[in-house]
Amino acid sequence: MIRAILIELKQKSSYRPFATAYLGGGSPAILPRSLLFELIDGISAEIPADAEFTIEVNPDQVKYELLKDLRSLGVNRLSIGAQSFIDDELKFLGRCYNAQTVEMAVNTARKAQFENISLDLIYAIPQSNSARWRENLRKAIALSPQHISAYSLCYEPGTPLYADLKKGNIRQAEEETDRQMYEITIDMLARAGFEQYEISNFAMSGFTCRHNLTYWLNEPYIGIGPAAHSCYRRVRSANVSDIRQYIEKIRHDKNACIEWSELTDEQFACETAVLNLRLSDGIDVKRFKALTGIDVSKAFGDVLKKYTSLGLIEEKQGRIALTGAAMPIADSILCDFSSFYTEPD
Amino acid sequence: MKTEHIRNFSIIAHIDHGKSTLADRMLDITHTVSERDRKEQLLDDMELERERGITIKSSAVTMRYEFEGQEYMLNLIDTPGHVDFNYEVSRALAACEGALLVVDATQGVEAQTVANTYLAVESNTELIGVVNKVDLPAAQPDVVAEEIEHIIGVRKEECFYISAKSGKGVEELLRAIVLLLPPPENLNDEPTAALVFDSHCDAYRGVICYVRVVAGSLRKGQKIRLMRSGRSYVISELGKFTPQMTPIEKMGAGEVGYVIANIRNLSDVTIGDTITDEAEPAKKPLPGYNPPMQMVFSDFYPGNNTEYDELRSAFNKLALNDASFSFAPQNSPALGFGFRCGFLGLLHMEIIQERLERENQIDVVQTAPTVSYEVKTSDGQIERIDSPSEMPDRSAIEEIREPFVKLEIITHADSIGPIMKLAEDRRCNLLKTEYLSTIRVMLEYKAPLAEIVYDFFDLIKGASRGYATMDYEFLGFEPGNLVRIDILINSQPVDALALIVHRSKAELRGRKLIKKLRQVIPRHQFEIPLQVAIGGKIIARETIRAYRKNVTAKLYGGDVTRKMKVLKKQREGKKRMKNIGQVEVPQEAFMSILDTSD
Repeated sequence: MIRAILIELKQKSSYRPFATAYLGGGSPAILPRSLLFELIDGISAEIPADAEFTIEVNPDQVKYELLKDLRSLGVNRLSIGAQSFIDDELKFLGRCYNAQTVEMAVNTARKAQFENISLDLIYAIPQSNSARWRENLRKAIALSPQHISAYSLCYEPGTPLYADLKKGNIRQAEEETDRQMYEITIDMLARAGFEQYEISNFAMSGFTCRHNLTYWLNEPYIGIGPAAHSCYRRVRSANVSDIRQYIEKIRHDKNACIEWSELTDEQFACETAVLNLRLSDGIDVKRFKALTGIDVSKAFGDVLKKYTSLGLIEEKQGRIALTGAAMPIADSILCDFSSFYTEPD
Repeated sequence: MKTEHIRNFSIIAHIDHGKSTLADRMLDITHTVSERDRKEQLLDDMELERERGITIKSSAVTMRYEFEGQEYMLNLIDTPGHVDFNYEVSRALAACEGALLVVDATQGVEAQTVANTYLAVESNTELIGVVNKVDLPAAQPDVVAEEIEHIIGVRKEECFYISAKSGKGVEELLRAIVLLLPPPENLNDEPTAALVFDSHCDAYRGVICYVRVVAGSLRKGQKIRLMRSGRSYVISELGKFTPQMTPIEKMGAGEVGYVIANIRNLSDVTIGDTITDEAEPAKKPLPGYNPPMQMVFSDFYPGNNTEYDELRSAFNKLALNDASFSFAPQNSPALGFGFRCGFLGLLHMEIIQERLERENQIDVVQTAPTVSYEVKTSDGQIERIDSPSEMPDRSAIEEIREPFVKLEIITHADSIGPIMKLAEDRRCNLLKTEYLSTIRVMLEYKAPLAEIVYDFFDLIKGASRGYATMDYEFLGFEPGNLVRIDILINSQPVDALALIVHRSKAELRGRKLIKKLRQVIPRHQFEIPLQVAIGGKIIARETIRAYRKNVTAKLYGGDVTRKMKVLKKQREGKKRMKNIGQVEVPQEAFMSILDTSD
């Protein structure tokens, strides 16, 4: 499979130069060393030397030797799926490590010369409360990562978690609790020097995730591997997710894409608006026009007026952004950006 | 044909008591309809009528019947069976000398039958009592005949026991029609006077008038005048319903049939008008009818997929064949442009609503029905108010009068308790209790129409295991201690939610209403106060909580397409709502006025 991925990488790098790389999909570190290194080597060859290159790891996969090798192969950013510093929460999330493992992982990473470390945290877990969440944040801050992603627990249909919720085995956190924890997050991380740059993402100055910003700015990106998604020249596409079929397709056609759709001007503009508005900086009006060809104030005039008057959207210095009051309830607002209200000229 | 050989009659019966089956059997026996042309229940024309098993518009059919070597002409004028269509019943009865009162032997006399029978008695129509379905195992013909005797005074020994389905006793009944019902008066030598008792509009032939010639005669090519409207026409065709339209040359006094005279619009003919001869007119028109009283009003606004103009042309089409239905443009600050529609009653409204959707594929937003009120202003003027939002300022009102009706309920003796309780809760005054038999009772009330018009019938049905029937008759307007309740959504009064209620119930109704609204209006980004105001004073409040957390935590490249779909769906739900200020209000909210349950 790695062979196939490298073929696809080679093939797609001809589209345009890559600016960042992100090796994700859960836990790439479970790959045998030699294959992992071959893959990383292949990626490094396609990106500039100083480009942001992130790899996702689980805390229990962190070994000093491994990290050192990754670092020397060009990986310069580490995204650690910590989730929590509280043992029973980790157990609830199905993680096979404890709070100590997380702390050790971060320290090991730093020893291996990683200077850009991100931690993923999850709040609004059923047994959590404000005090426990504060404790989690304190422990995370104490480890001085450069970046923190804090997600409210979501119950995706098709997952065991979702099934448990539907069966009544677990109870979702109250909306008010979820809200409180979100406010605690913003408040505590701000005090610790983190800047919120997206709904769930916080970074020390200069350490925003450039790769993920690509998504929110709705710039082109190329996904490589089974089930990977791409968006290039306003075409959204997805690779086949079955690994065997993926390898087969790459071997025959050098392409594993099985579904794609070309976005209409309206779709593209709406996506851009929705994604941009997740950012604290919001929509850059000029950039929006240049990217989509559409005047944001014309396409969404009524909606903007409505939410500005409600104090949920702010327009200043050529930018349109959600206010602090709007962030926790963003979907109730963004849904009004999912299609045009009136046809723009 | 000589008038003495003509019999004009109608059939009065409750829904499902077998009126149409009896009519069909008569058509069979008189060979009016050949077996091949027969559809079940010929008289019910419209699809909707067949489905609901009721007759909405009256129609007329002419049969030939031979008795003792003499041919008779029997004209059956059909009547609608429902309370809302009393007016049409009285129209039909005015064209007859007699009526058959048909009662189901398994059900007994029902309230609507009583009301229609009284109409017949008032118009001096000769009655024949008929007990139908006597061959059913559950039939109690003697008990039912006793009820007929008790209520209507037709002697039990004189009732006819028949089975319209099998035809048993129908031949005897036809003979009785000839023998017992009086023929029309012979006024052939008088100037022409024909009563228009109904009409309908045909796309190709224009208006078709249903007429009963009272005096003189009508013939093809005759120059006629409609006495009330003053308009003149020439008869291009006249004929009989056999039951299909069969042209004839001449129609004499006492006969029933149709007239076509190049009349374009239904509105050019007033039901109850008199047709006379242009050259030799009658001295005065026939008595005619009181116009139908519209008692129930509701606003219709174009729904999501319908344009205002589409709705207007659909209403135009419906009004063409229903003189009792009216509509006028209405502009609501909350709901935009639509129409205020007037109906005879709730069933009438439902029928229009269904025809609107079925025949025109129209999608409407409808407000809760309300009754009509009279307001006496301080300067002594009396205004009719069809919508609470039209109510003048409180300071300008001397009194508000509400419509009262005489309400008759027939039920089983063992459900009297719960039904009396329900009636009492609705401000009904018991006038009379009458035992029809040892187990059946008729309750007579004076009732405010507003209290019984929405759900009362359903409630008494529930309280009597489906047994009770009711009917009502308009009495008049009477002053009452009535107030207007205003509902404020996010501090803005919503005209479409205002209602007029008795003061004793105002606070409770208001509270229930905003409780219901709290359930049907979705949450917004801000808190929404729902308030009840009476005379400008807030008496109750509910609050719709604001969204506190509603955001997708993770949104990266692979999730975009799916997320956009989810957002679009969230947005679609809002599209079907009406914007009131900053609040999006679903259609359901406007109907919550009707929900009087606890």
